[in-house]
Amino acid sequence: MKLTLNQRRALTGFMFISPWFVGFLLFMAKPFIDSFWISFNTVDMMAGFSLKWVGFQNYVEAFTIDERFVPTLIRAVRDMCVNVPVILVFALFTAFLTNQDLIGRAFFRGVFFLPVVIASGLVVQQLFSQGAGRLASQSQTMQLIDVPGLIYMYLGPAAQIVNDLLNRIVLVLWSSGIQILLYLAGLQGISSSLYEAARCDGATDWELFWKITLPMLSPIVLVNVIYSIVDSFTDRFNPMLDLIRNYAFTGQFRLGYAAAAGWVYFIVIFLIILAVVLSSRRWVFYAGERD
Amino acid sequence: MAKVLDNLRARTIDAPWFLIYRRRTENLFFQVLMYLILFNIAFTFLYPVLYMVSTAFMTIEDFVDPAVYWIPRTLNWDNFHLAFLGMNYKIALKNSLIIALVAAVGQLVSCAMAGYGFGRIRFPGREFLFLLVIFTFIVPPQTIIVPLFILYRKLGWIDTYYPFTVPTFFAHGLRGPLFVIIFRQFFRRQPWELEDAARVDGCGALRTFFRIMLPLSKPALVVTFLFSLVWHWNDFYEPMMYLMKPQNFTVPLRLSILQSSLNEVTGGQAGEFFNEPLIMAACQLVVVPPLILYLFFQRHFVESIERTGLVD
Repeated sequence: MKLTLNQRRALTGFMFISPWFVGFLLFMAKPFIDSFWISFNTVDMMAGFSLKWVGFQNYVEAFTIDERFVPTLIRAVRDMCVNVPVILVFALFTAFLTNQDLIGRAFFRGVFFLPVVIASGLVVQQLFSQGAGRLASQSQTMQLIDVPGLIYMYLGPAAQIVNDLLNRIVLVLWSSGIQILLYLAGLQGISSSLYEAARCDGATDWELFWKITLPMLSPIVLVNVIYSIVDSFTDRFNPMLDLIRNYAFTGQFRLGYAAAAGWVYFIVIFLIILAVVLSSRRWVFYAGERD
Repeated sequence: MAKVLDNLRARTIDAPWFLIYRRRTENLFFQVLMYLILFNIAFTFLYPVLYMVSTAFMTIEDFVDPAVYWIPRTLNWDNFHLAFLGMNYKIALKNSLIIALVAAVGQLVSCAMAGYGFGRIRFPGREFLFLLVIFTFIVPPQTIIVPLFILYRKLGWIDTYYPFTVPTFFAHGLRGPLFVIIFRQFFRRQPWELEDAARVDGCGALRTFFRIMLPLSKPALVVTFLFSLVWHWNDFYEPMMYLMKPQNFTVPLRLSILQSSLNEVTGGQAGEFFNEPLIMAACQLVVVPPLILYLFFQRHFVESIERTGLVD
């Protein structure tokens, strides 16, 4: 059989991605669809996982009867909405600082990245439940200003959310290592000739920041937003994680119900990320792409 | 104060200096401020770690004594000894190492191949399949945990290493899609001349990949290997699902049953020993292996992401 060059190339391409494709079918596509199917059934674990069709009953129960599911879901989304902006701003700020010529730059970068390496879910949980996290936020500098007092004074009712955040601020900051790194890589990728050219044209520093740094960085901001959202939703401290596991593997082993809960959770995450990606067309600037 | 700041601003710059690409400020005030902020953040980051190290060496008397702050009176190694016994550390370490190493090797090979295919070779449906890779990344494990559990149960994979290692050889497993994306981005940036030269010399696609492109991709390989190793080591959710018998537990899982297994070792006396210094010592046993890895490869961890061109 004679193949054209294009066909041969296509075949090579398929060959290289075939392990991934098999894995995708076996460990992602099939469980994903199965899960959807199971969510409309009840599963009898004792009788070899036999399924019994119940229609939308699992979903109806999740939203109308279960008093834990909806509040936990709302909490997961709310936590994400608070955590992600904090992580993004903090990571950007830290990346700017450690991008300077400074003494001990390697040390600082090493420290900021440390949590990525040692942040085993359970260890972090132990550390923070034992008070290390709480103590850290009350450490010397934080005590200089009475943070909660100030917040209550200015924010009134919204203070509760802010106070919640402050209580676990170290935890939130601890999960910004990857984001700092990505920002740093992005900052280093901006060619200095852009700045020089703009300066020759008389741009002020503010203009350099808003018109060069931020647009050039915006693709990475998008990557970081998505990464942070995914990270926040699959984090060890996410209440949804334990809830779904408890549905499935404790008490009555309600696998069908857990699958339904997992699917609702997925749809929520998917919609949020979809909204981010769609909106990104308005605020992400891709250099080098011309139309 | 406001006036002073206004004056400073008027005299020196019209934007916070650090926002601009790599320019060292000449202003001493801002330099001092920057180091203050950096040290503060670094301290906040290190605080839990320092707390863990210092507490682990304390006796319980030291721990409850308010006069003992940071530095224990005597270096007390008993906590480590007890944690070592209670976690059955030798066996747990073996389990963790096997899972993490095999999984890292698996993802290294399979994700590099997939990344090469997606980044380098044109074939129909490529963009769509790559969208599926990205889609895979955002599906939370909770959504597919039930069918996967049933699948592994039917395959008889519960209480074995297979649920963690087999998917990695198919470019899946823990954050597999992320590594595929990293490799794709990396290979896309490489010059075409090398492959063209290889093809002219009659080198087949597989040989070109293994002999020329793979050795070139050291930064991406290092990132994938280190991250995969560390993430598999630290993983808790999946081992908890698929491992039932304590002798198969990984190190982090062992931490979660420390109290009850200490009870066995000490003959029901664990209550006496089970306290925060002991927990901190146990935490340290979990953290130390990846930490050693990090200290040795710190530069690679931090720099290789920049070199993989992930962000282009």
